[in-house]
Amino acid sequence: MNSAYSLAPVWFTDVIGSGLIIVFSFMAVWYAAKLARYQPSNVMWTYLLWLCLALACFGLSRGVGHIAKRFLLLMDMRDVWVALRPYSGGINSIAFVLVASITMFFQRVHKINTAVLIDQKALEKASKEVMHLNRNLELLVRHRTEELSRSEQKYRRVFEGSMDVIFILDDQGRFLDMNPAGLATLGYSRHDLIGKIALQNLFSSEEDYENLIRDIHSEGFVKDRECHLVEKNGSELHGLLSATVRRDESGRVASYEGIAKDITARVHMERQLQRADKLASLGQISTGIAHEINNPLGIMLGYTQLLLRDHKPGTQIHDDLKTIEKHARNCKTIVEDLLKFARSARTNKTLVDVNECLTEVNSLLAHQFELDKITLRTDLDGLIPKIVADAEKLKQVFMNLMVNAKQAISGRGEITVTTSIEDSANSVRISIADTGCGIPHQLIDKVFDPFFTTKPVGEGTGLGLSVSYGIIQDHNGRIEVESRQGKGTKFVITLPVEGDREQATTEQKF
Amino acid sequence: MKTSKISVFLLCLLILIPGSAWGFQSHPAPEGLYAHQMAHIFFLLSMAILAYWLEQNRFTLQRGWRFIQIACILFIVWNLVAFTGHWVEEQIPNASVTGEPDWTQRIDFSSHPLVPLYYALKLDHFVSLPAVIFLFLGIRSLYHESVTRDRGTDE
Repeated sequence: MNSAYSLAPVWFTDVIGSGLIIVFSFMAVWYAAKLARYQPSNVMWTYLLWLCLALACFGLSRGVGHIAKRFLLLMDMRDVWVALRPYSGGINSIAFVLVASITMFFQRVHKINTAVLIDQKALEKASKEVMHLNRNLELLVRHRTEELSRSEQKYRRVFEGSMDVIFILDDQGRFLDMNPAGLATLGYSRHDLIGKIALQNLFSSEEDYENLIRDIHSEGFVKDRECHLVEKNGSELHGLLSATVRRDESGRVASYEGIAKDITARVHMERQLQRADKLASLGQISTGIAHEINNPLGIMLGYTQLLLRDHKPGTQIHDDLKTIEKHARNCKTIVEDLLKFARSARTNKTLVDVNECLTEVNSLLAHQFELDKITLRTDLDGLIPKIVADAEKLKQVFMNLMVNAKQAISGRGEITVTTSIEDSANSVRISIADTGCGIPHQLIDKVFDPFFTTKPVGEGTGLGLSVSYGIIQDHNGRIEVESRQGKGTKFVITLPVEGDREQATTEQKF
Repeated sequence: MKTSKISVFLLCLLILIPGSAWGFQSHPAPEGLYAHQMAHIFFLLSMAILAYWLEQNRFTLQRGWRFIQIACILFIVWNLVAFTGHWVEEQIPNASVTGEPDWTQRIDFSSHPLVPLYYALKLDHFVSLPAVIFLFLGIRSLYHESVTRDRGTDE
């Protein structure tokens, strides 16, 4: 039996197998390179590329060695193969070690890759969160901006539309902003006020301002503080002021914010009501006293006149009786004035032209005014309607007011008389203004009180304005006084056009 | 203290009992084969460890890594085959192979009991080639899986 077997299968397997190993190992390298390029951040693919390269080296060294051996021996070049063999074997051994060495790094590379992937996921998550936050932030900012815009519009509308004075001051008390109603109330333009004028400048009393600022600083706010503000045209305005102070982080004053309500009209109304109440009470008292005094005075006068008949002029008794009669008549005049004030005096109302009454009074006083270097200006509206009134009593009122005006002026001055129709066209407005010394603030409520006078004793009874007040009240009108000390005083009389027209007509017939 | 005493003792021994003290050691022919065989063992162990790691880290759930694990196992087998082949080659006489060094050569199975084994081991490409092919398939599969996964993510 032949025990020698052909080595052809080994020969061909060796050659073909070596070639295929080279081919497949390089194809593996090619895919590993593609993989590494496709996902360069994945360290595992880089590792695989290195492993494949090492295996390709192994395949190449082994395959080339095997093929070279077969062909060198086939071509009878044993010597060459003998020379190359140690190199082939050596390189082959190195390739094994290389592959094995690289393989041993798998776990480390895997750990690194895992760490990288964890970090990458964490980064991606963080990035997503940041993006999410960013998107939400934009949305939030947009919503917040819209809310702020709405809020700003809302408060701007409140600021712009409020009828009260709303203002913001800087730390020095200068105006930073003021709403349109505030500007209109105070008579300033924005250009004139903002940054140029301080709240202090609008206070008529320095002391009030200092108290206000002190209280704001100590309490942080003031509420409903009554104050007197001066408008641009010099008029005084009664205000009800609430204000707060805003401080910065260091506690220093950053700004003041405040709201002031114009209560001038209300204050005037209250004062008028108080005055009317007071004068009504005084009127009742005066009426009682006047009636009680009037009768004895009449008897005194009567008997005095009877006695005067019995004594010839020139005698001592006659002169004494004359003195009694004179003073009794003075008393009677005062009593009559008191009755006029108390509206108990009889009135004779007819259709009266107010302008004519004023012209008559003016003509009576013109000469005296000229002597006293007082200019009398008249601005009478010729279109005002006639009113139902007692002409004589009206003239008395005008006379009282103009004499008072003249007395208030020391030296040169001006008295202005104007008439006009009230906006409602239901009343006539008569204004008598002077450029005199004005009435002190604290006395303004007393000017219509009976027997109140600032004149020296003996120069005035203090009944002139009281009587005027009574007469105007009797005509269902109003008499008001506005005064600024040192600037002048203005009396404004308002008389109704309608009213006792029928009564007047009837009285005229009789 | 103990270490320093031992060091002093060894130093005295070298000085007092001198022998041949050459600068380098010669490496005769068998060393190359031993080094090669050790490289095979290193290769085998590394492949075994890689296969184990792939399993332990659950890489083999992926088709591509499973192919690579198969490649590792085949490389282990191939290293065993090659290691054994090298050893067997040293055991059998050169006279076992006769003829010109081409495909007409023949080997005498009766010349040594290990010759048939040697013949079989010489066909190691039936193991190494599939190992490389599985490696290629594994990497190609990983590439396609990555591309497919990314496309799926994009969609």
